[in-house]
Amino acid sequence: MLPYVIRRFFHLIPTFIGATLLAFMISQLVPGDFLTTKALEPNVRQETIDRLRAQYGLDQPVMVQYVRWMGNIVRGDLGLSFASNQPVMNVIRRPIQNSLYLVVLATVLLWLMAVPLGVFSAVRQYSLGDQVVSAVSYFGLAIPNFFFAQVLILAIFLFRGFTRDTFGYTDLVFPVAGMTSNGWEEFSPWRQFWDIAHHMVVPGFVVATAGIAGFTRVLRGQMVEYLESDFIRTARAKGLGSRSVTYKHALRPAIIPFVAGIGALLPSLIGGAGLVEIVMAWPGITPRLIDAITRQDIYVVLGFLVISSLLLMIGNLISDLLLATVDPRIRFS
Amino acid sequence: MAATRKSPHADAAAVIAQMGGSKSQARIVWEQFRRHKIALFGLFVLAAMYLIAAFAGFIAPYGINEYRRTPVSAFMPPTNVHWIDPETGRLTRPFVYEYVSERDPVTRQRVFVENRDGPRYPIAFFVHRPDHPYEILGMFRSDLRLFGVEDPARIFLWGTNNLGKDVFSRVLYGGQISLTIGVLAVWVSLSLGMIFGVIAGFYGGLVDDFIMRLVEVLDAIPGLFLLIVLATLLKDPRNPLAQAFGLSMTSGQTFLMIVIVLGFVGWGGLARTIRSLVLSLREMDYASAAKALGASEMRVMFRHLLPGTASYVMVVLTLAIPGFILAETGLSFLGLGPSEVDSASWGLLLRDATARGISIQFVPWLLIPGIPIFLAVLCWNLVGDGLRDAFDPRKRR
Repeated sequence: MLPYVIRRFFHLIPTFIGATLLAFMISQLVPGDFLTTKALEPNVRQETIDRLRAQYGLDQPVMVQYVRWMGNIVRGDLGLSFASNQPVMNVIRRPIQNSLYLVVLATVLLWLMAVPLGVFSAVRQYSLGDQVVSAVSYFGLAIPNFFFAQVLILAIFLFRGFTRDTFGYTDLVFPVAGMTSNGWEEFSPWRQFWDIAHHMVVPGFVVATAGIAGFTRVLRGQMVEYLESDFIRTARAKGLGSRSVTYKHALRPAIIPFVAGIGALLPSLIGGAGLVEIVMAWPGITPRLIDAITRQDIYVVLGFLVISSLLLMIGNLISDLLLATVDPRIRFS
Repeated sequence: MAATRKSPHADAAAVIAQMGGSKSQARIVWEQFRRHKIALFGLFVLAAMYLIAAFAGFIAPYGINEYRRTPVSAFMPPTNVHWIDPETGRLTRPFVYEYVSERDPVTRQRVFVENRDGPRYPIAFFVHRPDHPYEILGMFRSDLRLFGVEDPARIFLWGTNNLGKDVFSRVLYGGQISLTIGVLAVWVSLSLGMIFGVIAGFYGGLVDDFIMRLVEVLDAIPGLFLLIVLATLLKDPRNPLAQAFGLSMTSGQTFLMIVIVLGFVGWGGLARTIRSLVLSLREMDYASAAKALGASEMRVMFRHLLPGTASYVMVVLTLAIPGFILAETGLSFLGLGPSEVDSASWGLLLRDATARGISIQFVPWLLIPGIPIFLAVLCWNLVGDGLRDAFDPRKRR
């Protein structure tokens, strides 16, 4: 197994170089650079601009800039943020961490909800429950998640109106903005964790919705196909219990494509989290990325692109390894 | 008589036609599709939505950016349309009252109330508004509106936004952007995907490796981030690409930019699909036959192999459109879509509901533009699923 992992790892290198090159090329589309705006300030002298430009290497040809930047990345240095004048890594660490919280929660929710729903729908094909699940998953696939988040926020506010009038309870059942409550720093560690978890419920669920819907539908289709196949009939004929047939014989092969799909899921989850982060003021990647773009803080933008694509590739690698473990037909050769 | 004699082929064709046998592929697919009631429903709803968007100018009572500074009309709730005459209690011609703004005595919030003591303003149909003309499909100019009320009353079926613009009218106009951009972007993606997919599948080897690496690279950056970065940069009139269009881009040009960006980010999956299809198709006898007959590589690729992927591509295409609609509305929601001045993408309209200082529970009607997005995506999905089943011989009914 180890050689396989190593080989797969080396496989990632050209892709990573390609991705960073693409990102860098795109960043060159930016008209001017950070210093162009600085040069417009009346109290900044031309010499200062030139000195800074040389310091950041902005006076070099594009390819030289790329190679220099890439060399620094390999050493773990993503460059300096112009706007905040500190290492990019410090600027982007928290947002990436915060986005990952959401993505991890969404992934867990996805598996926890989609697998039982899909199996249920397949086993009780055409039953009322199956039809409800199908209809709901069509809705889940079609609703844009930023809109869904807005609708949920509205629902939470309306619910507060209801609880206030009937019970005199004025708190929101779930917080609808941000990641922490006021005064979070003074909380005990346990309460800090609890507070963040409470804030995560709504955005995490929204991010997972489309995934749950799609996953359920495809899993149902796969399961139905397997449940009608010969080896299931054989298993039944041998006298195996229906639970064992469903979960051991039908679910295992049906779930393989999803294991392979975990990696592919990541980009859609990270992307999907993006718009929800904006609606719910979650301090994640997307709000900071947009902020960095408008300030032309180019190395921060690149830092986000590089780290997120790195995460993506690692996700893909993990799902490949998982696939090889789950699917006995795949060998490590 | 020679004139009436038919060729043997014609006879055979007649016999087959009698047996109801040889139908064209398109015919079979349509017949299968028609039995799929839900997909058919999706198709009808889509047709209706596209029609409404095309005739938005006629149906909408107001222009896309029309608003009045005085009296204040920001955040007006949906206008109450009355059907019952309050004096006789009988059904009457629909009418509205003028709204006046007041301050809530407790919260000091601005609230709008009907002026029930004032005159009634019946809803008039087919009214001319000469100072607010519109165009349909960029061709017909007119000022005839389906309905409207006389000044100073106004009719806002779905309320107004922070500037007092009519949400109902803007949703109708918004369809022109949000319903078309996805369909156009899919063609950009398809063209790129077809060219690269066929070349990769046909030549194999190094070319294939290179193209597939390219797709992987594109896949390695999260799509939304790529979209955000590209959309921001390309819309900036100072960037080198925009310079080619001239310094100030017209709204049509930014629209085109967004289409290209969306298409560029999304072509990888299509290329991969087409490549794998071509890989199996090129081993078919007819491909070898074409080659043996001396057809050029280009001819084999684009005349023989590509059409073989058509049915599959059609399904993939239909199912890709909702994704593009979601991407466009998402971009517009971030304020990065087609320019704000004379377009009203549904995503942009939803953005109004997140503006600073707005509490959604007081202006819930600002969420209405989300419903057509949902409907359009749902219906494209339904149609796509219906098409997939219709093309699938195993699912023939």
